[in-house]
Amino acid sequence: MSLRERVNQPKDTRPWYGELPVESLYTVGIAGEKFLRTLKEKGQFLGTKCDRCRQVYVPPKIYCERCLAKLDDWVKVGSCGTLESWTMVHVGLDGQKLKKPELVALVKLDGASTCIVHKLAGIPVEELHIGMRVCAVLKPKTKREGAITDILHFKPADR
Amino acid sequence: MGQRVAIVGAGMTKFVRRAQETGKELAFHATRMALDSCEMNLDQIDAVCLGTAPDTFDGVHMKGEYLSDGAGAWGKPYMRCYVGGGTGVFSVIQGWYHIASGLCDTCLVVCEEKMSSYQPHAQAAFLTIFDHTTERPLKPNLLWIFAMEMNRYMTTYGLRKEDIVQVAVKNKRNALDHPCAQIAKAVTAEDILNSEVLAWPVQRLDVSPVSDGAVALVLASESIARKVTDKPVWIEGVGWSLDTAYWTNRDLCYPRYVEEAARMAYTMAGVTDPRHQIHIAEPYDPFDYKELHHMEGLMLCGKGEAPQMTVDGITQRDGELPVCPSGGLLGVGNPIAAAGLMKVAELFWQLRGEAGKRQVSRKVKRGVAQAWGDLMQVGTVVVVGI
Repeated sequence: MSLRERVNQPKDTRPWYGELPVESLYTVGIAGEKFLRTLKEKGQFLGTKCDRCRQVYVPPKIYCERCLAKLDDWVKVGSCGTLESWTMVHVGLDGQKLKKPELVALVKLDGASTCIVHKLAGIPVEELHIGMRVCAVLKPKTKREGAITDILHFKPADR
Repeated sequence: MGQRVAIVGAGMTKFVRRAQETGKELAFHATRMALDSCEMNLDQIDAVCLGTAPDTFDGVHMKGEYLSDGAGAWGKPYMRCYVGGGTGVFSVIQGWYHIASGLCDTCLVVCEEKMSSYQPHAQAAFLTIFDHTTERPLKPNLLWIFAMEMNRYMTTYGLRKEDIVQVAVKNKRNALDHPCAQIAKAVTAEDILNSEVLAWPVQRLDVSPVSDGAVALVLASESIARKVTDKPVWIEGVGWSLDTAYWTNRDLCYPRYVEEAARMAYTMAGVTDPRHQIHIAEPYDPFDYKELHHMEGLMLCGKGEAPQMTVDGITQRDGELPVCPSGGLLGVGNPIAAAGLMKVAELFWQLRGEAGKRQVSRKVKRGVAQAWGDLMQVGTVVVVGI
């Protein structure tokens, strides 16, 4: 049985190439529309609040995932927050080494119960620590397009 | 709860980087072996439950239907389950309720994964799990989640990487005795700490490999099990639970969803003191720190205590509580769904005293298997006993 043999390279067995071309056009949703429009026009972060479960969702949702209540209490949260975790990524999706390693952060904005993930810049790795204060750096208003990439990255609050 | 359900047979293919066999052929080999192991034939099987992870891996839409003939489902009630990495253990739960409910007396549980089809690397198949509005524009990589989870775990409890890698040392060594292992290798802590950094603190040898493989079990009601074998392994408890669908909203330090699933399974099994009533464990170990995370969620030790237990040798095959005596995903390989089912198969062999060179030194009567997955927030748990 061929399972007894070791094949280390996928192409060492007779392959047949196939591709599944798929493209998608996603809607950002009811909550996403308001969140991204506010980010673009005012440079502010909005969340939705569930008083019963004491949760402020950022990015916002139109329902509470804990009690399934409809949420329409929109609150402004800070553009700075706490670094909850981080990593320095060295390999890409193809398994190959990245030309330049990238810093990724998990940030809980002030007033939010949940985190957002984004890039981190402006600090040497040695000085990073969980719990430190970080702030969002936005694109200039004229360049913003209503996407999560309107945030360029997060940077330490004190520099 | 309903009819008692036993595992009466098991089969497993070798786990390899690239199998010449198609997914269907892999499923066939494992299924045939499982039936032969208990001298049953397909006519005696009432239903088939199949577990397999994303369609994207095999590049086949509705992979469940595609694999059905290899899994022996022709002309039978058939169902595919998919809860990501949690699938392997969940498939046993699905098989269990087919029989416990009284609907069936026998059920095949088959899990297959062929990750080598995806080019250039199976990692990219996970791209669409990220939120399309808030995450995908950042071009995320699955490693982000694991690296930040591991960092948070280490920082919260002040853990040393040197201690965490002992899990990989143990499991890769255990796998040397597994005839189906893909990457069994004696590695030292130093080898791991010197391996390529993928996303700090995750390094190459902290991670299980990409694999092809299949595993199958035969489940039976008590009346059938007693006729088929004098060594049935009973499914004593099952549990599963889901945390938030947003990985960014979850406690990265403690797998609450595993605890909830374990509590459900332990209650059913009458386990009130898991530290003493569980004799052997196969928690999900795609990364070395995940075995520790999951031991804590399974309440086999206190929070933050699993690394010390590992360093103390308690989780070795000859230790007080053998953990992943199979060699786990880190050593045997990680064909996602099949790897989870391999854990239940290992408990089946260990409890029957049929694990050969892998047999643990202590007499074991009850074990727990667990898998983890979906959007990194599902816990699936099965308790088995003799």
